[in-house]
Amino acid sequence: MRAVAVAEPPAVHNGRAVKIFFPLLLLACFGVAVLSICTGSLGITPAEVWNLLLHPDETTASMIVWKIRLPRAFATLLGGGYLAVSGLLLQVYFRNPIVGPFILGISSGATLMVSLVMLTTLTVQLHLMSSVTTTLAAIIGAYAVMSIVVFISSRVRSGVTVLIVGLMMGYLCHSVTAVLTALAEKEQIKGFVLWQLGSFSGFRWGEIGLLCILGGAVLILIYLMAKPLNALLLGEEYALSMGIPVRWFRVSLLLTSCALAGMVTAMAGPVAFIGLAVPHMARMIFSTSDNRILIPASMLLGGMVTALCDLVARSLMAPVELPLSAITALFGAPVVIGLLMKKRVKL
Amino acid sequence: MSENKSVLSCENLSAGYEGKAVLSNVNLHFREAQFISLLGPNGTGKTTLLRTLSRHLKPISGAVTIDGRPLASLHQSELAKIMAVVLTDRITPPLFSVFEFVALGRYPHTNFLGRLTKRDKAVVERALSDVHATDLRKREFTSLSDGERQKVLVARALAQEPQVLLLDEPTSHLDLKHRVEVMSILRELCASGHITVIASLHDVDIAAKVSDQVVLMKNGGITAFGAPEEVLSSRVVSELYDFTSASFSRKLGSLELQGKKSGREIFVVGGMGCGAEIYRLLSKYNCSLHSGVLFSNDLDAFVADSLGVKNIVQVPSAEVDDPSLDQALQQMEGCDCLVDAGCDMQGIYKGNQVLLNKAAKMKKPVFCFHKTRTADNGRVQVGKISDLPAAIEEVLQNRAAI
Repeated sequence: MRAVAVAEPPAVHNGRAVKIFFPLLLLACFGVAVLSICTGSLGITPAEVWNLLLHPDETTASMIVWKIRLPRAFATLLGGGYLAVSGLLLQVYFRNPIVGPFILGISSGATLMVSLVMLTTLTVQLHLMSSVTTTLAAIIGAYAVMSIVVFISSRVRSGVTVLIVGLMMGYLCHSVTAVLTALAEKEQIKGFVLWQLGSFSGFRWGEIGLLCILGGAVLILIYLMAKPLNALLLGEEYALSMGIPVRWFRVSLLLTSCALAGMVTAMAGPVAFIGLAVPHMARMIFSTSDNRILIPASMLLGGMVTALCDLVARSLMAPVELPLSAITALFGAPVVIGLLMKKRVKL
Repeated sequence: MSENKSVLSCENLSAGYEGKAVLSNVNLHFREAQFISLLGPNGTGKTTLLRTLSRHLKPISGAVTIDGRPLASLHQSELAKIMAVVLTDRITPPLFSVFEFVALGRYPHTNFLGRLTKRDKAVVERALSDVHATDLRKREFTSLSDGERQKVLVARALAQEPQVLLLDEPTSHLDLKHRVEVMSILRELCASGHITVIASLHDVDIAAKVSDQVVLMKNGGITAFGAPEEVLSSRVVSELYDFTSASFSRKLGSLELQGKKSGREIFVVGGMGCGAEIYRLLSKYNCSLHSGVLFSNDLDAFVADSLGVKNIVQVPSAEVDDPSLDQALQQMEGCDCLVDAGCDMQGIYKGNQVLLNKAAKMKKPVFCFHKTRTADNGRVQVGKISDLPAAIEEVLQNRAAI
């Protein structure tokens, strides 16, 4: 390198935004979690919650906090975060701002399998088991579709082809689901429709643990991919010329992104809009495209927004719980429209 | 630095898509620190060759060697440290400052999280200053003009610290200022002695001026490879691009557009560079031009030749000789009018005065640019060169009416 005087190069990203907004986001996540634990049919003050967390007892309040609200808060924070990160990865990969985690047919695959379980008469007798079977079915559906898409993606040249394959897989699954819905009985359909709109209710600690461990591992992998992900913002051709093994990277990117979205979908159903809108919000807040910042930012922001939406969904018309996707869409659609109108987001 | 070291070479290379060769039997050896232009009409495989050299495309057969090693054997990240590319893809990554964007080029050199060290930042700054874009460093990448963006793209490639820089049509869709600037930047990079630049170019005249070597490509093969001073003759360039109404002049280093030659037959008495603009102007109006007598070392002779003017030329000497003058007189007789470009006729071109006198005698209209040879005997004094075509039309139409 030929010597050259360096007059203090500008920070590679806006360091101040990072220092201000990350603590704020963490605080907001915590605040929403506390709020959501305190709010419900039985109001509990934060002090009481604190007490019950330290000294669980046999009271109803304790049961509610430990068995219902705490798992739910965790589930929304994790699930929302995962969906947002998953959406972020796919938006970067496809260089397309209106791509979300379900663009590759993951939710459709899950929905197809769940419709098979919920809408056919095979499982009417297994009513008690339905929560577990639904989850299992969703997992199988999501990952089956994901495997097909990833397999095809490893053999094609361009990202656009992958996108189209994903969309087509979605249509295929939808058509089967539609046929099943037409043939199903009324009572079955309502349950199925509600599942399709997503819900974080009824999470067990076991599921949370699974989400934590598997999702955490995937997140670490994703963070290690932040650097090539940044290079990928220039497109696959440039990425290749900078030393990224593009095909291999594409497969691992799709695998990790689908794995995150798939595990959330399996447990909470297809929650709309979080994966689409939150990455944009993160970009705007931190005013950067640097994925080393956007990955943790999307995780926190996704969790926070989802927890908030979940809180609204269950308290707005309590005791009736509104479908989560209705709230996330109410919040997400205006955000996306606003972004597009302002042209703040171009990918 | 050894002058003869081949930094990049192809042996019997065939390249193309899905097993179908677009290019075949390519043998090229590029030396270090040279500027190499790929020239040829669209669709002849310039991009295919570049993509094969950058390993975006696998060769169908044959081999590419870089820095003495087979291209195929290099690890992706090793290659990225040797070679960088500037592609035609229009990329608009959002929310990137120019500095951050150029810093992406440090990719093969940084750690797994892409943290920039002091040295990395220094290289980025150096790359920015190499392309004269230091003042852009804080601008947002998407807000740049085409020309600025192209410079920044070159800077990003330089941040990889490559030995070889491949550019696909780096100057298309740039304005003239940036076209010239980008070319001179690339020229400087080669001159600095570290970087071999290989670029596909459309402007043969600019290529001739900046390149150390040119590769001429046509119909899926290399038709010539060598220094532009040797390779780029008028005939070769015309064949390369299938010119029918244009020609490249090696001496003038430029393209001249030949008109259709379907209009008036006009004889221009040029000389000492007086005629060049007049030949061009009248060619533009599709006149069929004749000229003479010119010495072969006169600028007008080169321009006339390049424009396809029927020109009587003789070897330079003290005065115009009689055989040439006779020829010129013969040609002049068949012309509708004569243009006196205003050349001084006291000295070596004295003999050409005969042409003017003869034209006057034959009652041909004479259009005159000379200040002191005043209008008489049907001479028409023309003030500005641009007025000439209208003046000719007016006079000739009036004549026809009578």
